Amino acid sequence: MLEYRAEIALWALSGVLPLIMLAVWRDSNGAATAGLSGAQLSHYFVAAFVVRQFSVVWLIHVFEEDALQGRLSPYLLQPVQPLWRYVAAHLAEQATRVPFVAVMLAALAVLQPSLLWIPSLSQLVLGVLAILGAFALRFLLQTILTMLCFWSERAAALDRLALIPYLFLSGLVAPLQAFPPAIRRLADCTPFPSMVAFPAQLLAGEAVDVIDGFARLALWCAVLLPISLVLWKLGVRRYGAMGA
Amino acid sequence: MDGHHLHRIGRYGRSLRRFWLSSLQAEFEYQLNLVVELLAVVGNLVGSLFVLRLLFGNGASLGGWSWDAALVVLGLYTLLDGFTSCVLQPNLSQIVNHVQNGTLDFVLLKPIDSQFWLSTRSFSPWGLPGIAAGLALIGWALMQRSSAISPLGLLIGVVLLVSGALILYSLWFLLASLSIWFVKIWNATEVLRYTLVAGRYPISAYPAALRLVFTFVLPVAFLTTVPAEALLGRSSASWVFGSLAAATLALVGTRLFWRYALRHYTSASS
Amino acid sequence: MLPSAGPIVRATGLCKSFRVAHKQPGLAGTVQHLLHRRYRRVEAVRDLSFVIEPGEMVGFLGPNGAGKTTTLKMLSGLIHPSAGQLEVAGCLPQRRQERFLQQITLVMGNRQQLIWDLPPLDSLRVNAAVYGIDEAEARRRIATLAEMLELGEELHRPVRKLSLGQRMKAELLAALLHNPAVLFLDEPTLGLDVNAQARVRDFLADYNRRTGATVLLTSHYMGDITALCDRVLLIHQGELFHDGPLEALTSRLAPCRQVRLELQQSVPAEAFRPYGELETHHGHHVQLLIPRERLTDQVAALLANFPVVDLEVSDPPVEELIGALFRSAGAER
Repeated sequence: MLEYRAEIALWALSGVLPLIMLAVWRDSNGAATAGLSGAQLSHYFVAAFVVRQFSVVWLIHVFEEDALQGRLSPYLLQPVQPLWRYVAAHLAEQATRVPFVAVMLAALAVLQPSLLWIPSLSQLVLGVLAILGAFALRFLLQTILTMLCFWSERAAALDRLALIPYLFLSGLVAPLQAFPPAIRRLADCTPFPSMVAFPAQLLAGEAVDVIDGFARLALWCAVLLPISLVLWKLGVRRYGAMGA
Repeated sequence: MDGHHLHRIGRYGRSLRRFWLSSLQAEFEYQLNLVVELLAVVGNLVGSLFVLRLLFGNGASLGGWSWDAALVVLGLYTLLDGFTSCVLQPNLSQIVNHVQNGTLDFVLLKPIDSQFWLSTRSFSPWGLPGIAAGLALIGWALMQRSSAISPLGLLIGVVLLVSGALILYSLWFLLASLSIWFVKIWNATEVLRYTLVAGRYPISAYPAALRLVFTFVLPVAFLTTVPAEALLGRSSASWVFGSLAAATLALVGTRLFWRYALRHYTSASS
Repeated sequence: MLPSAGPIVRATGLCKSFRVAHKQPGLAGTVQHLLHRRYRRVEAVRDLSFVIEPGEMVGFLGPNGAGKTTTLKMLSGLIHPSAGQLEVAGCLPQRRQERFLQQITLVMGNRQQLIWDLPPLDSLRVNAAVYGIDEAEARRRIATLAEMLELGEELHRPVRKLSLGQRMKAELLAALLHNPAVLFLDEPTLGLDVNAQARVRDFLADYNRRTGATVLLTSHYMGDITALCDRVLLIHQGELFHDGPLEALTSRLAPCRQVRLELQQSVPAEAFRPYGELETHHGHHVQLLIPRERLTDQVAALLANFPVVDLEVSDPPVEELIGALFRSAGAER
């Protein structure tokens, strides 16, 4: 159990990217150009760090192995849709991350108290809801890619590819306010800003259109859900046909 | 050098050739990967350039580095990331599997150095696009500059790049060999890979405290900034010396640590 | 390759003990474990001494956890003995010098060195390079061994597509490519079906005959040992219980022989009491256990005194004997 916690702690540590980006952004000309103050930047990136911690999805890696090792077959016989099993595992592991993230934030509070702030209750509630929405969206997107496992041995490579627009367009490495207008509009047409920027802005207490943000989250979930379910059905049929 | 040593070196050379040929054969079964990796390299490069552009904003510098100079740093990062994908990742992520499946025993029974085997057994060609893109970016950025690069600067830059690669290798190897004790921390190398992202930007772009961390704790500075300074013709003797010393120390350190790890393995395993 | 004279394996007073961290369950146990670890010493091998001559095939018997694998790993240099002297092929195994590694091989039935996604031939070529065998010589050896093992185009198929038996044969090929003088085989027939087992067995006997290599083998299947090994070492609770021919072990474990009689008419059970221990008595059929040293006299007496139609003398099956020994060992723990 202790060793398992070490594993989770390391995963939590691997999500430091927004904090590194914060360090680069703080004294850059880019921040000044975009009119972002130091406090704005630090609140945004710390919030993005928290969002990232609780919306990580690793379905594709466990699912691929389960399918290969034949563990999937017994799940298929059970009366519960197996994807729920994976959702539950993700949520459980994210719950165990809470103390590690708390420790990391506490360390930040000691080293650089100016980085942190206390969000209002409504910001907190809306932020948590938005994080859950972001997680759902990430999970659905990865489910779609995961189902390609049934057709290609290299579905994980495709997932790596999908990570690139997520990295650059979600707001994980740069606040969307700093984007040139054209690219900002392009990013807003994708689901990626809903996965980091929107929940992070809520948590950081920035002025955002709450209704519009949640509507986008809901819309993207509504688009991805049927696709992933259809692919699941086709994939399982193929899995059965292969006799695995 | 006597005949025995020459013979030995020859055997290591032939082994390496055979290792990499067999890896290439295995990897080329998945040609779709080439497309994916090319797209990934292009996507990452475009994204990184975009973010770098945002960081520059209307200004002319990032931590005192001009656009062209910062591109050299980004190019070196891309190059080292490709090297990681080619050699470090495919080999060193296997150590934990060897420990878990008990196949480390087979490695130890081969009449060849076990660290050599574990560090070079596989070669993934899918990091090559990254290496090529990194080289191209460095070359292009250097050509944009008014002053031509001096042969000495190039030489020192290459030496420091090799030195940075060795430091990177040592860090990976140390973390990966920890799995002899703690199987569950197999993902420590992932943490390393994610934090090394800091090497995309010149070290002076970071606050002073982080600069110290990135020099002495997690030597990101030696990976990209220091070789970039040399290529730009402004390296200082202390940094060159520091990098070479760090690389030597790191290599000797991995060697000693691996011996220690093996002693533990051979006395504690059943 | 082989040293001209003297034993190829010499173990004197070999011991191996491990320190095992001992943790109480629960959170309190974990905290205590971090602050102050308690260790327990487990003695896997105790004072083991034996000598093996070049060309011998020796079976290594013992229940799970008796220290067989630990001993094989010490012999191959993978783990260091806690005490005692060890010499294999003229070297100290734990130093793992190249000269030593070139002369030995270890096959483990539950682990494989061949790469899963590649044909065995790729792994074989890698091994050839590592052992410094030139390509023409490697091709020649692969051809010879493949013929002995009845492997053909399987060498060109990815390992994952081979059957368990084919995979084991390919593992053997990979382990023998460098012409080792000493073979350590740990459960080489594990999980194989009867046919595949027999083929591996035949191969090992053939290989030993052709090359004069020394073979030290552990197996769960008595069949492997009885078919291959003239001599067995039985390890019992980490100590050497028996060293010698298998028959000697049988007589030692079973001082009696089983005598089955078929009679013309039924005789009361009491009548047999003086001759030995009565095992079963069903009308015409009687089964007795008679101590070996009195066997001939008693059989003669039985034939003289009773209307015997048929008589059969046999050893109790060796599996049962050893199984009983191991079970009693398990009960003691």
